[in-house]
Amino acid sequence: MAQKNTNDIIEVCGKIAKILLENGAETTRVESTVEYIGRAAGIQLKCHATMTAIFVNVKNAAGSLTHLEKPRVSSFNLQKVDEINTLSREFSSHKIEFDQLQSRVEAIDHQVIDFSWPQKILSAGLVSVAPMLLFKASWKDLLFAFFIGILGYLASQLAGRHSATPFLGAITGGLVISLIATSLKQAGIADSSSNIVISALMPLVPGVPLTNSLREIIERDIISGLVRGMDALMIAGSIGIGAIVGTFLANLLIGVL
Amino acid sequence: MELVLGFIFSFLSTLGFGVITNVPRRVLIPAGITGAFGWTVYLLTEPLTTSIILPNLLAALIIGLLGNINAVFIKVPVNLIYIPCLVSLVPGVVIYASLKDFTLGYYNAAGHNLIKTLTVALALDLGFAIAESLFKKCRHIISKNRIKRKGNL
Repeated sequence: MAQKNTNDIIEVCGKIAKILLENGAETTRVESTVEYIGRAAGIQLKCHATMTAIFVNVKNAAGSLTHLEKPRVSSFNLQKVDEINTLSREFSSHKIEFDQLQSRVEAIDHQVIDFSWPQKILSAGLVSVAPMLLFKASWKDLLFAFFIGILGYLASQLAGRHSATPFLGAITGGLVISLIATSLKQAGIADSSSNIVISALMPLVPGVPLTNSLREIIERDIISGLVRGMDALMIAGSIGIGAIVGTFLANLLIGVL
Repeated sequence: MELVLGFIFSFLSTLGFGVITNVPRRVLIPAGITGAFGWTVYLLTEPLTTSIILPNLLAALIIGLLGNINAVFIKVPVNLIYIPCLVSLVPGVVIYASLKDFTLGYYNAAGHNLIKTLTVALALDLGFAIAESLFKKCRHIISKNRIKRKGNL
């Protein structure tokens, strides 16, 4: 009976670590949360987390048990991080029992907690008006960036959803944005295509993952930091390639017309 | 005027990025205000220096301090406030430009921008590190005050 219980605990802990890591929590926080929950559940467990594998290990009289999870680098869903955090607080202050913890972790793993699409579309537009360019680009260009940013965000989300190829979303986003921006410039409507492209790319570029990856490296979680950083670099490269192809296509189209 | 507009637009930007990365609803407004203050500090310090390190470091310091205080009050992991706040400061566009130049074969410009990316990101992270160690020293003061106020109520 005790054996089965231990098995359950490390399995739930593995799942918690996976959800936290994939949705944007730092590696040290993941490890400490899992060890905290283990202590609250009454067993001494060790957790080793990197972006490529999570190990949860417990040593007891019956021997040594290890549970392995394989996380993937994916886009952030910080709401899940918050829910798991609340759950672990409630569990360690003994407000909820282990069975409840188990079923609620399961629920968080499967449930899609999300803002609605109209909210997301409006937000993508807001992010696309970069404060950096407020007095460098013309107001007209910023207005264009608002709408082109929305289109680029939607295109990259759609492409990412309907294809298993990683990075295709980023390529599509870059392509759509630079295609429209260059066409507008060539048609003489917009003032500067590069300002529009830079501003509209704000929701897509991997600046935040890159900064997070350096923070992990500073905290000496070098493997996680490198994996996240390399992923950010690949996304930036994909957007760059998409943008170049988009500009090329737009120039070609204008030439034909 | 520039400061006011900068404040408003970085607030909106932070709010928007918060929605895209799905932060809990109660985080949105505090994060937006924190991000807007960070950007204002960046705007204020940028004309004073030629280096790109100092403005980013100070902005991150402010975001770190305000973010940690907010995190205590609304009870969330502080990372959830950092991520949306960073959106207007992070070198996302620079790394995009660098990789684009790399693809086009302009290796000098690519290398220049890549190093700029790393510098800005490091400055931001150092700002956070300083803010966090400062906050650890003052943490007990804030929690003590909260307990006192609750006791009075």
